Amino acid sequence: MTSEVVTAPRRQSRRGAAFRDAGPPVALIVIFAIFSALSPQFRSTDNVQNIVDAAAVLAVVTCGITFVLMMGSIDLSAAGVMGACALTVSLLVANNRNDNGFGLLGIAVAVLLGCAFGALSGLALVLLKVPSFMATLGMSAVGLGVATLMFAGVQPNITDTMVKGLAIERFLGFSYLTWIAAVCVLLGWLIQRYTRLGRYAYAIGGAEEVLALSGVKVKPYKVAVFALAGAFYGLGGVMVTSQLGAGLVQAGDGYDFSAITAAVVGGTLLTGGRGGIPHSAVGVLLVMVLTNGLVQVGVSPYWQGGVEGLIVVAAVAAAVIPQRRRNQVVK
Amino acid sequence: MSTAVAMKPAQRLTGFMPLIALAALVAALTIADPDFLTQRSLIAVARTAAPLIVLAAGATLVVLCGGIDLSIAALASLSTVFLALWLPNLGGLATPAVIAVAAAIGAVQGVAHVLLRIPSFIVTLGGMAILSAVALVVSGAGTVRVVDDSPVHWLDLYLGGYVPMSAATALIVVAVIAVVLRVTPLRSWISATGYSESAARLAGTPVDLVKIGAFCVSGACAGLAAVMLVSRQFSGGPTMADNLLLPAVAAIVVGGTAITGGHGSVWRSLAGALVVTLLRVGLPIVGVPSAYEQILYGAIIVVAVALTLDRSKVSIVK
Repeated sequence: MTSEVVTAPRRQSRRGAAFRDAGPPVALIVIFAIFSALSPQFRSTDNVQNIVDAAAVLAVVTCGITFVLMMGSIDLSAAGVMGACALTVSLLVANNRNDNGFGLLGIAVAVLLGCAFGALSGLALVLLKVPSFMATLGMSAVGLGVATLMFAGVQPNITDTMVKGLAIERFLGFSYLTWIAAVCVLLGWLIQRYTRLGRYAYAIGGAEEVLALSGVKVKPYKVAVFALAGAFYGLGGVMVTSQLGAGLVQAGDGYDFSAITAAVVGGTLLTGGRGGIPHSAVGVLLVMVLTNGLVQVGVSPYWQGGVEGLIVVAAVAAAVIPQRRRNQVVK
Repeated sequence: MSTAVAMKPAQRLTGFMPLIALAALVAALTIADPDFLTQRSLIAVARTAAPLIVLAAGATLVVLCGGIDLSIAALASLSTVFLALWLPNLGGLATPAVIAVAAAIGAVQGVAHVLLRIPSFIVTLGGMAILSAVALVVSGAGTVRVVDDSPVHWLDLYLGGYVPMSAATALIVVAVIAVVLRVTPLRSWISATGYSESAARLAGTPVDLVKIGAFCVSGACAGLAAVMLVSRQFSGGPTMADNLLLPAVAAIVVGGTAITGGHGSVWRSLAGALVVTLLRVGLPIVGVPSAYEQILYGAIIVVAVALTLDRSKVSIVK
């Protein structure tokens, strides 16, 4: 038996791209219109504000995961990283557990910690060749473990007025967290559009072989993308802490999956090379409108995860249908 | 092993790794606490390990095919809820009913994976979310108490007074899977699918059926693991088994089954599950806080996958 490896050439249909790009925004408008017709409560200004404010954390986390998905990798580490960063920030700003009071510096440290976690996942991927879903699944467990260690059985309640105020105080009708999320989306879009990191992330997803053969050192960029994603999760963890007023190990529970849902629904393909931050932003609003709307029309909130699961499977299936005849091997 | 390929020393070493790790762990724990090698604590270890062994054995088949099943823990949680709800009405029939339903759910995921050509980790990740939601809704997000547990009480008995019935059942499940694989062409079909799916397809292997079958068995094993959990805890809960996902995945990869598919066996996962259980039981004995358990799982998953990876196969790792 020879160990020759035959890799099937990657072929991707570029047709229908315009249709696919227009799909999610149209779906957003249609779903919004349907729920508005069904529920008077849904179309109230308060509720719209609510939806946008509730979308803030998910938007930041999705920004991070979008870069990873654009490369064709996946990241399941958001929950663990957010937990670790939530505990870090709550122990560094003014709180009831110790005498720290670092304020902004504490937030920066938490974001850097997220960055470090992301870099570790990336290193496991490029150096040890561990597939990203395994590397990040492991990293999520590590993050949760670190968070549990810092939690140490006593919940750290934050007393820092600045951090608490981010979630409560409003500017032009929206909470500060929403504005932070908006800045993150803009920043993510600029990174994707105008930096080498963003362009290469896109290219790695499209055709990694070609990029490597063109003399680009792919590995550092992969690590950098995971580190960037980790920084976004870290910020997400800080934002959840500000909302809850306390650092919890479960701060990131469910965000990993919701973020993948949002990105995929927005039109970012799991095979990489397609989609981006604007797509994901639409996806986030789509997911939030859907979950909020379902609750408003009387569906049990317990179904939320199930609806997201269905959406992910359906969206991924819809994306691969054009190429399913060619794409024989699916792991 | 059916292949006669000469193995490199490093590979041969990773082949025995789970057994070496197992022996080393037992030795280390005995030194740390001489009471460890007593009948009572060994029985406790066997009982803790049983659901994990069953879960890992089923999911191993999916991994051997080159896929992964991330829904096993959520499916087991849902099955505990079903079992707890059905026991009052169905009595003894509840156990086979739950296992059959779990197998069917597994098969549905397999069909979705094969027909829609969605990567298995996405199907089962979506499945995990859907099953958790169903479990929450069906149970009303609370624990379902089992008042009369006589139909599942047999799992709490001891075989010959010493061997816990649940551990014996787990062993039998592993043995049955292993024997069925050995005496039928299934073993080579699964390996072929895992090693090179396109070659297997060209050679006429019913790849799609093999994969659906693997998911089906994985689901059935999750159902059986749920029965074991209910018999031990006298209740079912929508998140009862959720924390078994990482240990189960860790058991599979620590056993030496390659995440890339093809190479491995259910016996390896049995050894892996014992290693993971010993780690879990052993950490407090050595005096390490249990929070390190999670960190350890994460680290060993990454390291074990890296060690057992079939490097000839992956030119580009995503």
